[in-house]
Amino acid sequence: MTDLRTTVAARDATPATTTKMAVRRLNFHYGDFHAIKDVSLDIPEKRVTAMIGPSGCGKSTLLRVFNRIYSIYPGMKAAGEVLLDGENILDARYSVNRLRAKVGMVFQKPVPFPMSIHDNIAYGIKHYERLNKADMADRVEQALRQAALWDEVKDKLKQNANGLSGGQQQRLCIARAIALKPDVLLLDEPTSALDPIATGRIEQLIAELRNDFTIVIVTHNMQQAARCSDFTAFMYLGELVEHGVTEQIFTQPKVQRTEDYITGRFG
Amino acid sequence: MSADLLFLKRRIINAVALLLSAAAALLGLFFLAWILWTTLSKGIAAFNVALFTQMTPPPGEAGGLANALFGSVMMCLLAVLIGTPIGIAAGTFVAEYANRHWVGATIRFVNDILLSAPSIVLGLFVYTLVVRPMGGFSGFAGVIALAFIVLPVVVRTTDDMLKLVPAQMREAALSLGIPQWKVTLQILYRAAAPGIVTGVLLALARISGETAPLLFTALNNQYWSADLSEPIASAPVVIFQYAMSPFEDWHALAWAGAFLITVFVLVLSLFARLVLLRKRVPND
Amino acid sequence: MQETLIAAAERRASRDARHDRRFRWMLAGAGVFVLLALGGAALSMLWGGREAFATFGLDFVTSATWDPIGQQFGAWVPIYGTLVTAAIAMLIAIPVSFGIALFLTEVAPTWLRTPIGTAIELLAGIPSIIYGMWGLFVFVPMLAEHVYPWVDANLGQWPLIGSLFAGPPLGIGTLTAGLVLAIMVVPFISSVMRDVFLTVPTRLKESAYALGSTRWEVVWDVVLPYTRSAVIGGIFLGLGRALGETMAVTFVLGNAHELSTSLLMPGNSIAATIANEFAEADTDLYRSSLIALGFLLFVVTFIVLALAKLMLRQLAKREGR
Repeated sequence: MTDLRTTVAARDATPATTTKMAVRRLNFHYGDFHAIKDVSLDIPEKRVTAMIGPSGCGKSTLLRVFNRIYSIYPGMKAAGEVLLDGENILDARYSVNRLRAKVGMVFQKPVPFPMSIHDNIAYGIKHYERLNKADMADRVEQALRQAALWDEVKDKLKQNANGLSGGQQQRLCIARAIALKPDVLLLDEPTSALDPIATGRIEQLIAELRNDFTIVIVTHNMQQAARCSDFTAFMYLGELVEHGVTEQIFTQPKVQRTEDYITGRFG
Repeated sequence: MSADLLFLKRRIINAVALLLSAAAALLGLFFLAWILWTTLSKGIAAFNVALFTQMTPPPGEAGGLANALFGSVMMCLLAVLIGTPIGIAAGTFVAEYANRHWVGATIRFVNDILLSAPSIVLGLFVYTLVVRPMGGFSGFAGVIALAFIVLPVVVRTTDDMLKLVPAQMREAALSLGIPQWKVTLQILYRAAAPGIVTGVLLALARISGETAPLLFTALNNQYWSADLSEPIASAPVVIFQYAMSPFEDWHALAWAGAFLITVFVLVLSLFARLVLLRKRVPND
Repeated sequence: MQETLIAAAERRASRDARHDRRFRWMLAGAGVFVLLALGGAALSMLWGGREAFATFGLDFVTSATWDPIGQQFGAWVPIYGTLVTAAIAMLIAIPVSFGIALFLTEVAPTWLRTPIGTAIELLAGIPSIIYGMWGLFVFVPMLAEHVYPWVDANLGQWPLIGSLFAGPPLGIGTLTAGLVLAIMVVPFISSVMRDVFLTVPTRLKESAYALGSTRWEVVWDVVLPYTRSAVIGGIFLGLGRALGETMAVTFVLGNAHELSTSLLMPGNSIAATIANEFAEADTDLYRSSLIALGFLLFVVTFIVLALAKLMLRQLAKREGR
């Protein structure tokens, strides 16, 4: 608890900005299971929002609603509204294609595509834009620089991406997502498969990316939430228990359950 | 005392069982080595260049297997060309679109039956499907019969290999907004490629020695023919015909053919395994 | 600007959705094709054999008269031969395969397991015609000279089962076919069994060893019960092969349409009958009878393979796959 307090206090206070994404009375079912119960939440623009809570609390599911990746599996249903810049992305008329260009996602395990480092980045861009070789090279470089990977890979862009280390692979996946210039970046426990040093680099990267993207990160690691988020939402059994400025959540939680979780009394 | 006896008894049973198992392994290996040795020694004795340059002879004359080998190669390659795309498509459907759905489960079940169904039955099927309506035996019918053997092998490996691709790879690609058909063709197939190639090679190895389904589809032909609407000779059918005959020189040719097929099948299966081992990408 | 961007995105989205739909239908078509292949095989043989079934009725299965000249076709001899050769093959192949699988998973030193395992898998892929030729040219003369005379003189004198083993030492015949089939299915069954044994969790075996069990006791009391249904499934897969195997059997069975008690006498099987006679069948009824035989074989193997699948699936379920 004291650890978390000092971690939180060490950061600059960040005021809220305009709302980028607004969740309104969201319910989510898969099969008979009610995974998200009536959740409403504002995600502020160009800030980092951390989702915390014990396993199975619905935080990852919520993230997967934000770019509708859940819809590739049968039997999953989301009801309610998720407004992105005022438009409801759950509306069938809001095309997945448009949504996913605006909302990028990075997963737990780094999964580079089975192709070269360059092609991993270029692959997504090609689907949206016709670029000549030089322009594409620029875009790839730009994305890799933004993901703080350029210096490590600039001499081996043609090599297979599987040759990279786990941490590098994860930064490649981040580069791949931001190469499409999305507004929102969803990170689903992005460091849970990485060692502490690689985790440190990713956290540093998140701090830098925060200037350009609205970031939502799901994490099991309380320290990580305290270190890199501006806002924190605590979920439990599919409900949003508490949501607020990270400092407040970690130092003066309003709900007893939040405090119990943060201090490690359960979960 | 009785505890010691019991212990001794258990030890003896154990020793006997393990000895028997080693004996079984030896017995199995002995017969298999015997069969291979026979094929190799008799095959090499009958081996010469004329095999590849001369036609299948009438009894008592010199000759080779050129037309039969050519027929085999042509029919096998065409069968793979037909069976592979359909097999990959069906395997993809089962793994990517109908997984955990009763339609997928049904196709999987039926495919597994087809995979182990007696090949002579497939020959009869193609006879009623192709030979009879077309009014005669033809290389074309042989190709279709072999394609029906390739098909389930490819369906099965495609299905298995796609299931090995981590779900997060699909999600990562789809969350870039790329449509599923592109994700499947450009990413999943690339990740599953070594496995699928192995499956196709194993299917090729299997059909290269198949005899039963060709007996009454492609039939046989004493002469060189590349015309798929006519009966065509194939190595296994010629081997069958020659081996069952009473003529010594035909027997020699049959052994040479058996040798060629065995070496081809063994080399191909080994190579297929290497493809899978060497290119196996650490996906997780 | 914003409007045109959205419009472009929507155009792309609808194009992608259209392509996705087409792709899906194409794949579904291929999936249906697989279903049609099996259904078509069954129906076409039933249709092709209808003349034989209509002409002879139940006699087709029970009569032992196969007379192409007199146009009388009863399939009991090949049916009997198929069942007996497969039974002989399984009688030998099951214990031997079990022994090999046991050897490869528990007994052999680790460095030996992969090479022997691979060798056995490779040999499972050797075409059956090779087994048939070896049977005819090497195995048959050996049996005729060294083994069958002894069998006839000794086993042939036994009460009750003696008549099975009495007869001239021709070499070719039902027993030989069963033996060759056994050699053929051993690599197949043993590699399935080995794979199945390998699925037993190590901690399960270790806890049995920790109680002081011998290796054999671990296999008999832990491994086998854990894998029972899958082992039976593997055996059934082998049985499916043995029933439908054509070439290996055709070479050494002798193509005789007389029913004889002795296993040393030539016999026939469904697959061998079809392989030997189909291309020469000159009347519609003859051909129809052979296709009807194929239909019977198909039905029997279908049942055996379906059972095998169900048995194998039980282990997969237990593993939570």
